[in-house]
Amino acid sequence: MVDISVNSPASSSRERNAVTLFEQHRSDLIRQRRAMTIFGIAAFLVCLGLSIWVSRFYPSRLAEGVPRILEYFVTITPDLNWSVLFEAKNEAGRAVPGSFAYWYTDFWTYLELIFETILMAITGTIIGGTLAFLLSFAASDNLAPNQTIYFLARRFMEICRGIPEILLALVFVFMIGIGPLAGILAVAIHTTGALGKLFAEVNENASDKPVEGITAVGGNWFERMAYGVVPQVTPNFVSYLLLRFEINVRASSIIGFVGAGGIGQELNRVISFYSDDRVLAVLILVVATVTVIDLISERLRLGFIGKENFQ
Amino acid sequence: MLTLNALTKRFKDTAAVDAVSLQIPDGQMVGIIGRSGAGKSTLLRLLNRLSDPTEGEILFGDTDVAKLKGDALRKWRSDCAMIFQQFNLVGRLDVVTNVLTGRLYDLPAWRSLTQIYTPQERAFAVQALDRLTMAHTALQRAETLSGGQQQRVAIARALVQEPKILLADEPIASLDPLNAKIVMDALRQINQQDGITVVCNLHTLDTARQYCDRIIGMQAGRIVFDGTPDQLTIGAARDIYGAEADEAFNENATSTKLSGASATEAQVAAIKQAAVNV
Repeated sequence: MVDISVNSPASSSRERNAVTLFEQHRSDLIRQRRAMTIFGIAAFLVCLGLSIWVSRFYPSRLAEGVPRILEYFVTITPDLNWSVLFEAKNEAGRAVPGSFAYWYTDFWTYLELIFETILMAITGTIIGGTLAFLLSFAASDNLAPNQTIYFLARRFMEICRGIPEILLALVFVFMIGIGPLAGILAVAIHTTGALGKLFAEVNENASDKPVEGITAVGGNWFERMAYGVVPQVTPNFVSYLLLRFEINVRASSIIGFVGAGGIGQELNRVISFYSDDRVLAVLILVVATVTVIDLISERLRLGFIGKENFQ
Repeated sequence: MLTLNALTKRFKDTAAVDAVSLQIPDGQMVGIIGRSGAGKSTLLRLLNRLSDPTEGEILFGDTDVAKLKGDALRKWRSDCAMIFQQFNLVGRLDVVTNVLTGRLYDLPAWRSLTQIYTPQERAFAVQALDRLTMAHTALQRAETLSGGQQQRVAIARALVQEPKILLADEPIASLDPLNAKIVMDALRQINQQDGITVVCNLHTLDTARQYCDRIIGMQAGRIVFDGTPDQLTIGAARDIYGAEADEAFNENATSTKLSGASATEAQVAAIKQAAVNV
């Protein structure tokens, strides 16, 4: 390599001009960026300060609250007695206090409700995912047939995901009564909005070359989507769908609080009526379920993406 | 007969295609040459209406293609197949399905969206692939093929459209010389055996001279040359490629006796040289 120092007299004037010009632009750019970074940090600190002040997030309040949290945990901790821990129910059909059987008297009810919760999540994800799939093409900037449809699809999805699931569940409980159907509808609507946005973003990253190819053979809009876009985006769609399913299992266990079915309904009952070791019993099962489902769907997701990438 | 009347496409202030008038008889193989940015691609995209003209007419028979909409427009696109520089296949679909998309216009909606094809349609697609010696890849994903293979699949897709016109936008610009030859041979063969009109954008002069019946030169959106390969002299090539080519031309041009007659070997070499230098 020829040694080009910026001030070398050996380099021709044209060469030097290019280098000086470049150095000048570079330092300009760095200066500009530095100003932006400093401004960004300052803005962030102001926002952080404001939000601490508005939400009164002070360490002293936190310190006061901690003992109360511990107190509650003591309340819901079961009195387990080692000597009878694994005792089964006695002849009279009663469990011995201090045993697992006593703590989890309603085990099968819980399990049934958790099963119901998972089914709610599956149904809600399928319904919401289907709607999100159908809407996502109209809601993609690059694919929408026209601006009106794009606008309507976008706003509709914003409304769907803007309302919290628990609120939707409350409304549906009023409309169609207590039970899992209300919960399924709530999950499905929220999923339509949330997943639809993610799907639309995947669509917007799809290459337009295959789409142009299908246009050029005389394909209509639906055919352009089905042949030009869907094959490209399917792996990402599946990945997002599984992720949403995990989220929906958690959501389904919460919305039961307002009477929309599932384990949440039981959790609400034990918290408001007993507030004892039964709360912890249900919580442990919920956390275990969510963990297991997370693990399974993560496997599936990685398997799917991995297979796509390394074929 | 394809007739263009004062066809114009403007992007804001610049006219990418500027009042182009042209007649292309059925069965001709036409090569369009010019510097990049001369409006070759835009012209081709106007012809099958991937892009809408600002002004002018595109007459095919009695219909004004420039005014077609909806179903009639899709019918025209299916009659006027297009081959792209980047092939524009659906990478994750298998080769035979890619070829079958050439039949989309004739398919009822429920069959096209569920991807259900009749054995006859499949046979037709595989025959088209076989003609381009690509039948053995029919069940592979399109993205697993090399560039030259993908372009041949794209030609098979165009063939099953049973088009009246075949447009090719820089079909060999992303290919190596051997594959380029295979693809150009295939286009010429389709033109001669099936009598399909072929309009082809090319970036190399020698390819245009070798394969086309007629060469059209474009510069800044206008047609500056229209004639047979024999008529494409160095002077004409200079008009097409503009002042940029001058330096390269002069050295070679002085050594070649310029006459109006057909190009000598040296002339061809000079033109090639010019094409390389622009």
